[in-house]
Amino acid sequence: MTQGFGAQATAQITAHRASRWALFKRSIRWYPFLVINLVVFVIFNLVPWISMITTSFTDWDMLTPSEWVGLGNFQELFTDELLRISIANTFYYALMQVPLISIVSLVVAIFVNRRLFGMKFFRGLYFLPNVTSIAVLAMIFWRFLSPRPDGPLNYLLGLVGIPPLKFLVSTSLALPSLVGLAVWGGFGYQMVIWLAGLQGIPSELYDAALVDGASGFKLHRYVTIPLLRPTAAFILVTATLGSLQVFASIYMMTGGGPVNATLTVAYHIYRTAFIFGKLGYASALSILLFAIILAIAYLQGRFLRFGEDVY
Amino acid sequence: MTQIHSIGTTVGTMKRYRRTRKQRLKEIRELAFMVITYVVMTGVAITTVGPFVVMLSASLTKNLRFIKFPMRLLPQPFTLDNFKLLFEKTMAERWLFNSIYTATVATLGGVITSTAAGYAFARGDFWGKEFLFMLFLGILMMPSTALIVPLFIVLSRLSLVNTYTALIGPWFASMFGTFLMRQQYLSIPRDYDDAATIDGANLWQTYWRVLLPQLKPTMATLAILRFMGHWNDFLYPMIVTSKAHMRTLTVGLGTVVRQGGDAGFDMSGAVLGFLPTFIVFAIGQKYIIQGVALSGIKG
Repeated sequence: MTQGFGAQATAQITAHRASRWALFKRSIRWYPFLVINLVVFVIFNLVPWISMITTSFTDWDMLTPSEWVGLGNFQELFTDELLRISIANTFYYALMQVPLISIVSLVVAIFVNRRLFGMKFFRGLYFLPNVTSIAVLAMIFWRFLSPRPDGPLNYLLGLVGIPPLKFLVSTSLALPSLVGLAVWGGFGYQMVIWLAGLQGIPSELYDAALVDGASGFKLHRYVTIPLLRPTAAFILVTATLGSLQVFASIYMMTGGGPVNATLTVAYHIYRTAFIFGKLGYASALSILLFAIILAIAYLQGRFLRFGEDVY
Repeated sequence: MTQIHSIGTTVGTMKRYRRTRKQRLKEIRELAFMVITYVVMTGVAITTVGPFVVMLSASLTKNLRFIKFPMRLLPQPFTLDNFKLLFEKTMAERWLFNSIYTATVATLGGVITSTAAGYAFARGDFWGKEFLFMLFLGILMMPSTALIVPLFIVLSRLSLVNTYTALIGPWFASMFGTFLMRQQYLSIPRDYDDAATIDGANLWQTYWRVLLPQLKPTMATLAILRFMGHWNDFLYPMIVTSKAHMRTLTVGLGTVVRQGGDAGFDMSGAVLGFLPTFIVFAIGQKYIIQGVALSGIKG
């Protein structure tokens, strides 16, 4: 009896070992397909992550050896006046940009979605700024925002009776000007995604709603809007993620000025690390930016039921 | 009899008349809506494309300190001096080469590794598959700006700053591409794999000879998106290059324009940065818009 039990157990262990061996043999064939992805991941993601955390506990300027300061950098976050300004600017920017770009792109998508001659051509045109580098867009836009009265935008505003504006040199208009660049350069991308959402609504649903007596606005209220919710969630979440990280346009056009009016968190990190050479504190700032973005993405995801299906 | 018949026709005509009137109203409304659509669309088109036209025109104008409106769109005299000056005064040709070289290698590498990794995730049964999949999914969601400082630290410790390796490296694998490819593999019936296995093909042969040829359109889409993404990337290449001769075109041009000199000169730089992606876009427009739509559909 005992012997029988022992034999059974041995057999089980052997079988287990055999299955592990089989799993190993099965697995090993697949790893080569992933090896480059894994190497890139380790060097350009995992190691930087670890280094971000370890550096954030030190004071380091790349020239002298780094010095352990414990939570000092995180304490500094609470007293950093520029950080407070940059967070306020970043949220202000996001609160302007995200609704504006989402609505503009939706309106354009609804127009372009009509089955009319030439709409594909228009779609292509609207997408053009999206395939152009932000550096190039900023170069052009900077010229258009010239504060001179004969600058392109001021001239056009003059045609409708608006006196010349100072745009990037004005503390109150600099950030909205950057929002303008983001909307001009980015609405085409959102438009394509809205279009995919609009075209993904089965026409049977409209027919069914028509049979049930819905018409005109009600058709949109009870079919289009609920069915666009996943698209809207995607657009709002990605647009927010992008706007919270805004950097290139600021680097190109304002350098954070005038008087810190366009200093965002990303630009603050850049300045702290690469102009003031405070890499430890910049790492702490990076962790903070990451935490802010993660928290907002999580809240938005919960609120908008991101990733859930509509049916 | 004839009378009744004629009354019937009259009623019929009236009915028909009333219907046409209603129809005509509807037609007029539709026509008006169509006109409005075209007017709005043209307005948006001028807003989006107009600045590029101004850019091109300014780049061909001599001694243009500021762009002033109203401006003549056909420059007189027409000149290419700004471009000549651009190539003389800056390292534009070197930047152009850097961008073409790194973007090409990064694109080829990224597309190939994406098809390979996507194949493993779609067909493989290996230890750690779920974990790795979630890990890659997580990376896709990470805000890249937060990682810029540590990336610089790591690359400078590896003394990779100012190298092509740094400019290409992170682009050599694409998490988005891996997902895109995985979806495509899943849409191919497994019968192809089985048939290949029966014929004696190993995994690599199945991948390369049987499945990959069916992915060509998706590969084209991904390639164009990756190429443009790399070409237009700004923050990362700026951080990992400090020497002028290692800059990519967009970063190099960025440093020029921040000096804010002659408008014609600046705009010639903008044209140089604009043209390559414009050409790729003009050729592969269908693929690009498809690719963007694809990235949004599933969330």
